[in-house]
Amino acid sequence: MVEQSQRDFRKRDILYVVPLWLLHLILPNPVPHRKKDFQKRDVIYLLLILALPLILSNEHIHHIMVLAGINAILALGLSLFLGYAGQISLGHAAFFGIGTYTTAILTTRYGIPTVFAFWASGFLSALFAYLIGRPLLKLKGYFLALGTLGFGEIFLVFVKESYDLTGGVIGIFNIPLFSIAGFVFDTYLKQYYLVWGVLIVLLLFSKNLVRSKMGRALLAISASEEGAASIGVDVTKMKVGSFVIGAGFAGFAGNLYACIMSTANYETFSLNLSTLVVLMVILGGMGNLYGPIAGAIFITWVMDVLGSYMEYSLPIFGVILILLLIFFPEGFGTRLGMRFVYLISYFPRKRRRDEGKVK
Amino acid sequence: MMLSIEKIVKEYDGVCALNGVSMKVEKGRIKGLIGPNGSGKTTLFHLISGVERPSSGRIFFKGVDITYLPSHEISALGLGRTFQTIQTFGNMYVVDNIMAGMHLRLRGGFLSCGLWLPWVGRAEREALKRGKEILEFLGLLGRWEWSASQLSYGEQRLLELGRALALNPDLLLLDEPGAGLTPGEINQLSEKILKLKQEGITIFLIEHHMGMVMEISDEVAVLHNGELIAEGPPESIREDPNVKKVYLRGKNSSA
Amino acid sequence: MNPFTYIPQLLISGITIGGAYALVALGFVTIARTTQIINFTQGEFVMLGGIITFSFLQAGLPYPFAILLAIGLVILIGILVQLLVIYPLRKTSILILIIATLGASLFFSNASAVVFGSLPKALPPLSGGRPFEVSGILISRQSLWVLGVTLLLLIILYLLSHRTLLGKAMEASSTDPLGAELSGISRNLMGLFAFGLSAGMGAIAGIFITPIYYTSFNSGTLLGLKGFVAAILGGWGKNSGAILGGFVLGVIESLSVAFIPSGYKDGIAFAILLIILYLRPKGILGSPFIDSRRW
Repeated sequence: MVEQSQRDFRKRDILYVVPLWLLHLILPNPVPHRKKDFQKRDVIYLLLILALPLILSNEHIHHIMVLAGINAILALGLSLFLGYAGQISLGHAAFFGIGTYTTAILTTRYGIPTVFAFWASGFLSALFAYLIGRPLLKLKGYFLALGTLGFGEIFLVFVKESYDLTGGVIGIFNIPLFSIAGFVFDTYLKQYYLVWGVLIVLLLFSKNLVRSKMGRALLAISASEEGAASIGVDVTKMKVGSFVIGAGFAGFAGNLYACIMSTANYETFSLNLSTLVVLMVILGGMGNLYGPIAGAIFITWVMDVLGSYMEYSLPIFGVILILLLIFFPEGFGTRLGMRFVYLISYFPRKRRRDEGKVK
Repeated sequence: MMLSIEKIVKEYDGVCALNGVSMKVEKGRIKGLIGPNGSGKTTLFHLISGVERPSSGRIFFKGVDITYLPSHEISALGLGRTFQTIQTFGNMYVVDNIMAGMHLRLRGGFLSCGLWLPWVGRAEREALKRGKEILEFLGLLGRWEWSASQLSYGEQRLLELGRALALNPDLLLLDEPGAGLTPGEINQLSEKILKLKQEGITIFLIEHHMGMVMEISDEVAVLHNGELIAEGPPESIREDPNVKKVYLRGKNSSA
Repeated sequence: MNPFTYIPQLLISGITIGGAYALVALGFVTIARTTQIINFTQGEFVMLGGIITFSFLQAGLPYPFAILLAIGLVILIGILVQLLVIYPLRKTSILILIIATLGASLFFSNASAVVFGSLPKALPPLSGGRPFEVSGILISRQSLWVLGVTLLLLIILYLLSHRTLLGKAMEASSTDPLGAELSGISRNLMGLFAFGLSAGMGAIAGIFITPIYYTSFNSGTLLGLKGFVAAILGGWGKNSGAILGGFVLGVIESLSVAFIPSGYKDGIAFAILLIILYLRPKGILGSPFIDSRRW
């Protein structure tokens, strides 16, 4: 439809079309799933990410972006399950926690290199997700939310109580920094490229996934489970698959978190984090991969700004969350994109309408 | 024999929706299923396609017992269906809806799709081509880049048919394909269904437009209150006293 | 020490906390039966009930007056939640509703930390005096209060839902919202009423258990979740199931202390939840809701 309205151009159209075209390079794609998968927009995003720490050479900003990158990996993983398959999980923080503690234990107790711990974390999180997901994902809606939440709480209790393994409420300290073959990621700048590099690889993986038959099957499940089953999609298998992949991503994120913060503490992995990750996905838009990443950056940034008023930040998040849901139930990013499509076709539409009146 | 249903009973909390229905659908034929509202037609389709489980009885599809198979395995055997209430994927493009129907025919699992191994891309391109062919057959090619939720009601029904076709089915279950269509559209639909029959697809359809059913079906079955009251070629059904009684009574009570 | 000497004691404390779980579970069920929504803020009502009473007492109000005022205030909060969160979202999906009530829960627990401080608080017992002693087992007066109030509320709720037109209207609004609306039952009014009712029950539960267990800003979430587990354990959607589930959960949790380290106690409820969801999602008494598509 956009193409149709752009067909008959006039010179003055340049006035609004050029800035809108520039905007369109940056804004997220309005429609959830598209055939042309890699566009100019992607290159611009990539360059922006690579150049950002060089433009803003502020240590603090680098650190915030490192945290944002870790959150973005979490949100990206959940996005496949929540945004595409339309299933809810309130236990995502637990998989993050499994990743963190796996790394913490392997590196501090057994001296295993962080790179191996990276794979072990992802694998172990995914394994747990599979074991949990097989029985749990038969549930729908509220019961699924509650089941995943229950898993998260059990994980927390276990971490708090098994002092020998996880250090209990004290946690584990002095986790070595991430290093590959002797190259240690010891500055915020290096960590930035590490985290965002991992994020980009995972993003490519997810992007391939959602543009293939798997993405279609996931979207089909979220639209109509009966319809999906009628075309031969194994609904349970797809749900478990996307859950496991999301958990694997969370495991990787957990490893990066452990190897950057050097500590593992149970308080990080509470229900609050799970809710925040869900918020990032919702904020960015369902059925969209860039949205959750933008949501993660936004929320990490807001948390940092509100950081000095920590006790105020969580109630404010609660309010923001509810307001967002009320005004942008399909997600802020998706809505923004749709507004944009409307805008870009507004003037040609209006002109045609006016011409119609004259005739 | 494409499909054979043997003494199917379905009860909901003591209410009998289907009471010992047996029928057969022969290969390469079009079979119509008619009956007043609430006679158990859609329930029968749900039982065949595995959405619901029968209380007793057996269903064989191409000689395989599919009574208790899950829905997706039944479709993998080559059974496509459409729904009475539209179940198109409104969150996807029109062409993606059709391509979703090829899920089983495309190679690749989670890992190979995520890594975009060579055959995934190849399969994807072929799927797109085939998807456009199906859309052309349905007359929806002009809208392939629309979101499925933007289509009109009748177009969505066609899209669902296309999605089922993408499965390369041997048997198609069509649940009221003509509901909500204009007379002109119904004629086009009849032509398409007949064309599918020529391609060797067996079709089993529920329909309320008597004219359409009688015109295209090779055989018609009539359900009333969960029981099969008549079965045979359209001409004999038209003359059948039982059927007349059921339909006339329906008219009297509704008047 | 011989386990048999303290198991009866554990049983008593289990029954006491079970009463609180039962009240929370009843709150969940009341809302779900009327609006088909699960309100994750239920636990915060419990927490607010305890904490608001505490701050009224601090302000010098007499105990009974503080209780009534706190209950009224929490009912008001419950109604506000319905008006400001649930009502605008009534047409969206379950997913959105779950997250919205979680957001409200996030808001209430942390706002209460800002307003009332984050230190744990305890109310004085309702009636002083020594605990009763029955063949060597101590039963505190507060436990009896909890049980008595649970029983009383149960009777009131039973009468309300089975003997009054209002109860029938609430039920109707749940089973067929459109039909109920067409026959003149306002769904929104019923929703308001259900939220008020269950907020009140939550507040009462909070007030009566705070003298036994400390209440702090973050205790509501866990209590609420356990109440929900209780409701599922007993049979989701049934008042009797909620009560039974509450007591069963309380007793199991309490007895578990005799066998495993007490720190794992909080995990028990969720372990039970996973087992129940996996093996018998209908719960002990069966559920009228479980077949419907929403659950």
